[in-house]
Amino acid sequence: MAAFPSVQWFEAVRAVFNADESYQGGGGGACNALMGLKIGGQSFLITFEGAECSAASKVQDSDLIAADYILEMSYADWKDMIQNIAQNGHADLHHTLNTLDLGRAEGLSHSMHGDQYREDLFFRYNQTMQYFFDASARVATEFTE
Amino acid sequence: MTDKPDDKSPPQPPPPQTAPPNLKWMGKTHQWGTRVKPGKHGLRLGDLNVGIYGEVPPVWTDQTRAPRGAVSRRGVPPLGYAIRDKVDLWADSAADMYEEAIQRRWAPAVSVPWNTVQPLPDDVERAVCQVCTELSQYANADVESVTHWQSQMAYGYHEVKQFLATVSFDGARHMEVFRKRALCNGGGLGLEGPGEVNRMILESRGGWTEAVLYLFIMRGLFTQTMYRYLHRYAHNEAERTIFAHCLEDKARHLTYGIDHLRYAVNHQDDQAMILQQLSFIGERVLVRELKDVVLREALTIVFGNGISGAETGAAIFGRMMSDYITRYLATLKWLGVERRTLFPEELSAYLKAS
Repeated sequence: MAAFPSVQWFEAVRAVFNADESYQGGGGGACNALMGLKIGGQSFLITFEGAECSAASKVQDSDLIAADYILEMSYADWKDMIQNIAQNGHADLHHTLNTLDLGRAEGLSHSMHGDQYREDLFFRYNQTMQYFFDASARVATEFTE
Repeated sequence: MTDKPDDKSPPQPPPPQTAPPNLKWMGKTHQWGTRVKPGKHGLRLGDLNVGIYGEVPPVWTDQTRAPRGAVSRRGVPPLGYAIRDKVDLWADSAADMYEEAIQRRWAPAVSVPWNTVQPLPDDVERAVCQVCTELSQYANADVESVTHWQSQMAYGYHEVKQFLATVSFDGARHMEVFRKRALCNGGGLGLEGPGEVNRMILESRGGWTEAVLYLFIMRGLFTQTMYRYLHRYAHNEAERTIFAHCLEDKARHLTYGIDHLRYAVNHQDDQAMILQQLSFIGERVLVRELKDVVLREALTIVFGNGISGAETGAAIFGRMMSDYITRYLATLKWLGVERRTLFPEELSAYLKAS
C-alpha cells in the first residue's frame, strides 16, 4: 500500500506504466517531457524519456520552473481523480486530464515559464499522461487526507 | 542420351565484354568516416546532423534533389524549387517531431474500439455525422495544402519535408477515421461545409509561412479545440479514442506551426507585422464561415446530447469558442503578433460571453 501522494506511490505507478507494453502502441510511444505536479501543498517532478517514465522525485515548489508543464489541483480533486481511476480501471469521461483541464476555470495545466512550445507538450503527450495516471488503477493506494 | 550439345547446334555468342570497373564514384564524398551511434532512444533523424551533414545554410542554392551533404552531379537540370530560404520553412523541432510522429502513429482500423459504438438517438447521430463530415474536409485541406507546398521546398531542408510528410499522412488518417465514424453506426455523411477557410488556406499565395499561419494556427487551433471538446463529450469509447489521438496529432502540427512562425519572426524583418496583417485578413474569412449555422448547430446537439439539450449544448459551444479565441490570441501574442486592434467583434463576443 502506497500513500498518495508520495515518491513511493509514483514509483509504483511508474513500474506498472513501464511494464505495460500496450501503453506504447496505438498512439502512445516516445514521449520526452518533464511533468510537474502540485498536489495540495506538495510538488513532484515526473520525467518521461522515450518509451518510459524514468524518474519521480519530490521537489520544492520553486523547482517546478524546470517542468515543461505543471498539473495543479487541490488534494480533494486529485483524490477524486485517482479514486475514479481505481474504480473504473481508467479515468471516466468526467475525470480525464483533458476534461479536468477544460472544466476548471483556472485549467489543470499551466507553467511557470510561459513558453507555449513547452506548455503544448501537455497536448502532444496527453494520451501518454493519461495512460500514466490510468496505470495507478493497479497500485494499492491509501490517501493521507 | 547425353546432355552434351550436338555438333549441329549453332555456335554460342561470346560473353559480352564488360568494361573494367571505374569506381571513381567511390571517392566522391564531402565527408567520409562518419559513425553516428544510436543513443538511448535509438538512431534518430536529428542525431545524423553531424559535421557537414548538420550544416543547414540560410539559403539552399542547389536546385536539384541532391541530399544535404552529398556531392552534386554536374549537369542535372534544375527542378525550380520556389522555397529555398531557411526562414521560409524552418523549425528546429522538425527532426524530433518527425520521429515523434512515426513512433506515436496509430491506425484507425485497429486502434479504435469500434465495437463500443452503439446506436445513438437519431438527432445525435446526425449531428455526429455532420461534424465528422466537416472534420474530414478540414483534414483534406491539411493534406492538399501541405503536399502543394512540400513539393516546392528545397531538398536541403529535408527534416521539414519529412515532418510535413507525416502531417499529410496524419491528415489522411483523420479523413479516414472521421469517414469511418460517420459510416459505422447507421448514419452517413452529411452536408458539405462552407469551405471558406479551406479555400483561404489552399489559395494562400504569399508563401508557406502564410499558409502555416492559416493552416496550423487559425484553423489548427480551432480544430484542436474542437477535438478537445468532442473528446470530453464523446458518446462511447471509440469516439473518445479517436479524438484523443487526433488531439495529439494536431498538437504536433501546432508545435511545428509556432516553432516555424517564431523562427520566421526572429529572422525576418517585419514578419510580425506581416503576420498581423494576414491575421486581420484571415479572421474576416473565419467570421464569414462561422456565420454558417450547420457546424454550430451540430456541435450544440453533440454537446447537449440531443436537440432537447440545445441550451446546455449552446453554452458549451460558447465555452469552446471562448477557449479557442483565448488560445489563438495567446499564441499570436507569444509569437510577437499583437491583435489589440481591429479584432472582429464577432469573435471577441465569445470572450465577453464566457
